[in-house]
Amino acid sequence: MSDSINTTLNIYGQHVDSRLLIGSALYPSPEIMKQAILASESKIITLSLKRQNPAEQAGAKIWQYIQEIVEETQGFLLPNTAGCKTAKEAVTLAKMSREIFKTDWIKLEVIGDDYNLQPDPIELLNATEQLLEDGFKVLPYCTDDLVICQRLYDLGCQVIMPWASPIGTGKGLMNPYNLETIRLRLPQATLILDAGIGKPSDACLAMEMGYDAVLLNSAIALADNPVMMAKAFAQATVAGEQGYIAGVMQQRQTAHPSTPTLDTPFWHQQG
Amino acid sequence: MNVFINGQQISVGSEPTVLLALQHFLSTDQQKQSFAVALNGNFVGKTDYQQTSLNQDDSIDVLFPIQGG
Repeated sequence: MSDSINTTLNIYGQHVDSRLLIGSALYPSPEIMKQAILASESKIITLSLKRQNPAEQAGAKIWQYIQEIVEETQGFLLPNTAGCKTAKEAVTLAKMSREIFKTDWIKLEVIGDDYNLQPDPIELLNATEQLLEDGFKVLPYCTDDLVICQRLYDLGCQVIMPWASPIGTGKGLMNPYNLETIRLRLPQATLILDAGIGKPSDACLAMEMGYDAVLLNSAIALADNPVMMAKAFAQATVAGEQGYIAGVMQQRQTAHPSTPTLDTPFWHQQG
Repeated sequence: MNVFINGQQISVGSEPTVLLALQHFLSTDQQKQSFAVALNGNFVGKTDYQQTSLNQDDSIDVLFPIQGG
């Protein structure tokens, strides 16, 4: 038996040798963003599209950094549809992203509530259907609702990304039971836990459940030391994956001594 | 004729196209950068900029890559 197991993440048939997907926003500087992404050993970087005034050059600089990172890591871009509230908006933004980034991968976000950034399940399903028909490889961001995940899978999504908790909260896995149920009921889907992860142990827990990967941004970018936190998440993701593969012991209701009791000194010795 | 680009009203000639509007709105540097375009909420591919005519009060979105989560 091997001491360590190297497996790859399967994104619509593309094998990726890191199970940590990382966002490119909110870092203290572009240079720290680059260092943190490299430290995370992630091979999939999320990014977005936005309006830019003619005088602004900041966006161009970030894009240049991200291109350098992707080249250096031989990684992949995963554009998102952040900010979209309807299927029509998301489909248009996905098409714009495909032209710029030369990828048919799309992290599909269709937000239904401004307060907790909860996905709108109806618009999400509608957009997913249109995009799959148009040849996109859709990675939908959704809640931890089994039925929505099942519907997305039935439409043809090979990858599904339920949230741990609302975007940017860092609250971790709000509903472990729901997430475990999704894993059990959709064994063939590539499941990526997306959003709400706050600590490396959250990533580890998701991987121990059998999730295929985790996607996060704020937990690394907003850490006191983003580069060190990126390394911590890389290690936690691998630890969780290997723990899952190794097979976690069954919990027991009563205590069982670890140390053999045979020949225990002073056993039942009366004073 | 007036159209809107990224919410900003601009005046373009009498027979404007998406290409002419972009040349009018974007700086020389920006025209060399990566960007994508939507017209009234519908994607317009690069190869269609020249043939796509504009109407009064059309709305163009020009989007650039930025960081995202």
